[in-house]
Amino acid sequence: MKKRSMLWLAALMLVLSAFLAACSGGEKAGTKKEENGGKSGETAGKPQDGGTLVYALDSSFKGLLNYSFYGDAVDDEILQLFDENLIDYDAQLKAQPYIASWKTEDNKVFDFEIKKGVKWHNGDELSVKDWEFALYTIADKDYEGPRFDNVRNIVGAQDFHDGKTDKIEGIKVTDDYHVQITFDKARVNNLDNLWTYPMNRTAFKGVAVKDMMSAEAVRTKPVGLGPYKVTKIVPGESVEMERFNDYFAGKPHIDKIVVKVIDPSLSVGELKNGTLDMTSFHPSIIDQVKALDNVNAITYPGVSYYYVGFRLGTWDGEKNVMNEPKYADKKLREAMFYAINREEWVKAFFFGVGKPVNRPIPTNHWIAAPNDQLEQYKYNPKKAKELLDEAGYKDVNGDGFREDPNGKEFVVNFSHYATQNPTFEARAKAMAQYWEAVGLKTKVSMVDFNLYYDQLEKADKSMEVFFGGWSTGSDPDPTPLWGSKALWNYPRWVNDESDKLLDEALDINVVGTDTNKRKDLYIQWQKLFMKDLPILPIAELEETMAVSKRVQGVTFDVSGKNRPNEWWIKQ
Amino acid sequence: MLKYSFRRILGMIPMLFLISIVVFTLAKLMPGDGISGEIDPRNTDPQYIAEMREKLGYNDPMPQQYFRWIDNFVQGDFGKSTRFKIPVADVISERLPNTLMLGITSILITYILAFIMGSYAGRKPYTFGDNFIGGLNYLGLSIPSFIAGVFAIYLFSFTLGWFPSNGSVDIGVTDGTLEYWLSRLHHVLLPAIVLGLLSTASYTQFLRNDIIENSRKDFVRTARAKGTPERKIYNVHILRNSIIPLITFLGFDLVAIISGAIITETIFTYPGLGQLFLQSVGTRDYPVLMTLTMLFSFLTLIGNLIADVLYGVVDPRIRLD
Repeated sequence: MKKRSMLWLAALMLVLSAFLAACSGGEKAGTKKEENGGKSGETAGKPQDGGTLVYALDSSFKGLLNYSFYGDAVDDEILQLFDENLIDYDAQLKAQPYIASWKTEDNKVFDFEIKKGVKWHNGDELSVKDWEFALYTIADKDYEGPRFDNVRNIVGAQDFHDGKTDKIEGIKVTDDYHVQITFDKARVNNLDNLWTYPMNRTAFKGVAVKDMMSAEAVRTKPVGLGPYKVTKIVPGESVEMERFNDYFAGKPHIDKIVVKVIDPSLSVGELKNGTLDMTSFHPSIIDQVKALDNVNAITYPGVSYYYVGFRLGTWDGEKNVMNEPKYADKKLREAMFYAINREEWVKAFFFGVGKPVNRPIPTNHWIAAPNDQLEQYKYNPKKAKELLDEAGYKDVNGDGFREDPNGKEFVVNFSHYATQNPTFEARAKAMAQYWEAVGLKTKVSMVDFNLYYDQLEKADKSMEVFFGGWSTGSDPDPTPLWGSKALWNYPRWVNDESDKLLDEALDINVVGTDTNKRKDLYIQWQKLFMKDLPILPIAELEETMAVSKRVQGVTFDVSGKNRPNEWWIKQ
Repeated sequence: MLKYSFRRILGMIPMLFLISIVVFTLAKLMPGDGISGEIDPRNTDPQYIAEMREKLGYNDPMPQQYFRWIDNFVQGDFGKSTRFKIPVADVISERLPNTLMLGITSILITYILAFIMGSYAGRKPYTFGDNFIGGLNYLGLSIPSFIAGVFAIYLFSFTLGWFPSNGSVDIGVTDGTLEYWLSRLHHVLLPAIVLGLLSTASYTQFLRNDIIENSRKDFVRTARAKGTPERKIYNVHILRNSIIPLITFLGFDLVAIISGAIITETIFTYPGLGQLFLQSVGTRDYPVLMTLTMLFSFLTLIGNLIADVLYGVVDPRIRLD
């Protein structure tokens, strides 16, 4: 008996290691796409009604199927098919009126009006009271979801959260279609940060806030506003949706959408067999998807970027303090940037769906500075060497690697996160080779993805130089990532001028409602950022999606897919 | 026997207690927690994360956390999954039926195949048929289940189209109808065969060897001398004796049925306990992780007990006091 269990153990270890290596993906854990772009792009032919579309998710969903409670990208993919945001974002991620339109004089008091006759899946008509209900739910002290940040700025929301009042002063409902929302302060991005997803009041009737997360209306019988309504859910496995005939923006064409969880290793086979119509996939299999005759491999601009960061300081519990001297010399950072051949690196490891980026903002965002206004830092190992010489990093003991200006041994401790993706280690090593080529000794460590940011926060020794990535939402404000009081500012970069520019860009007295003025400030900020170089922006990645050729009318832009009511299936 | 079982069950209590300490310590030793994987600047503000950590009690001293957990655990409250945000008992009971279905089907396939192949090979040892079965078995033993799974999917799902490659049921059918159960069976068959491959091979060889050994014993010679028909000798005299060691596997099989199959379930995207376990490790979902580990440990202890008791039942030479 002993023998058998040992055998099992050995087999299990073997299987596990091989399996983990074989699996791909997970890079963009927590990536969140904002709501749809709503751009119609009908291809040739007249839409036909009918058919069933099979949509695959690459990992199992948690089943938090209500916008107010969901937390991850997988649940979001399902939500996008059956629920709606009250406002919409265009291809530059600017807010546009949709179900709700708004008026504001001063960016502090907003008057919202919603369309009449918008129907919930259960037949109720949408009222601003549904929205008010969602805001109250989120502000409740028993609410356990992550959205309170999007409600906090409304006058009285914090007091309500703390139990001091039983009414949020800043929300005034006039009638079923009009509501006035007052923020504690005029901000340029008040609207971008506001929670604009309503919750159906009938479905949640009689459910206490603390029980809502496990309620039927979230788990098994969600009610939305979108073009499809959920008819059945098999937890963790599949969701069946049916056409919602009373959808306010027109009757959808496809009869049914079946959302299934399919292991990524099976998706190519399923696509080939025609048993799967639409799925996002990891860029590493793009060649296999492209080789299929019946499927289009679509790439569209994403909102994520990757960078190499330097530890410049520490987090003192409330703000960043720049007190780490090792990489404080700007010339060293510049030299390390010039040493990297980004074109070659991106080509080798991003499977043709990435391109080098020159700023901490994705190219497709409306505030992105044009390349000709920014320093390009083209691959130039000669210049890198010169800069290092100038800064005093010279090889004094003749081992082929440079020592620091004091003549002490200098090692770049570079870390990269590790997932099941086998290319990560290779690409980290390739990066190290660039630095070694200009004489900087580099030590690479791979850290498990789930712990990576945790350890960064704790300033682990091996992570003096680190690879990282961010994906941005519709709010362009970079303060949460690069402000001096931002916890996510992992380089711990502090720059007074940067803080000033970022504050000004949000200050209603400086920019008013003029988006060009705001953009100018952000361009100035990007120039400053690229001059100071607390991080080395490396690449931005495109999103990849496989769509069967029989499915028509699907378009993509930076904010994601168009709404499924515009899709149809060639019969 | 009863006294023996009772004593063993009593002995399990301190054992389970010790296991719980190990499980808890190991879980807490894993770097990171259920929150650390959710960091995303546009989605979560640091204040929320700090609040959640406080609410979940991650900042309390270790012993306090342990006693809170074990106290609730004994009272049947397994906590709330940090990933699914619903009680752990609900998460597990959602997936348990799938795992049971897979486990039982796989065991049935194993027993039937092993019985047929084993008794054939044992009756005609060292013939072509025996060697063929033996060859198949060693192949089955040596192919890891993830390879077998991928090949089975490629061959039977993609090329031949006989079985679906993922899921536990076709979502289009109505719950509880005959069609529903057929659909479930259809979905479970392929993973069950892959899962049963390894144990089929070992069971077959056990049975074969036992039959060969028994067929050389004196009582068989006596039976032959009496003129008992060969068929009766094999089907009654030998088989009865040869099945004894196999019965004792039953205890361990019970554990295998519940604990699911981490690899097979993941490859076939079959939502059972094995898949849940693996995902919980990845996302540091402690409450689910610890409950599952405790469940598996408990079942292993019970399985061992059943195996030991069965030894005594089928073989009176072994005395249990």
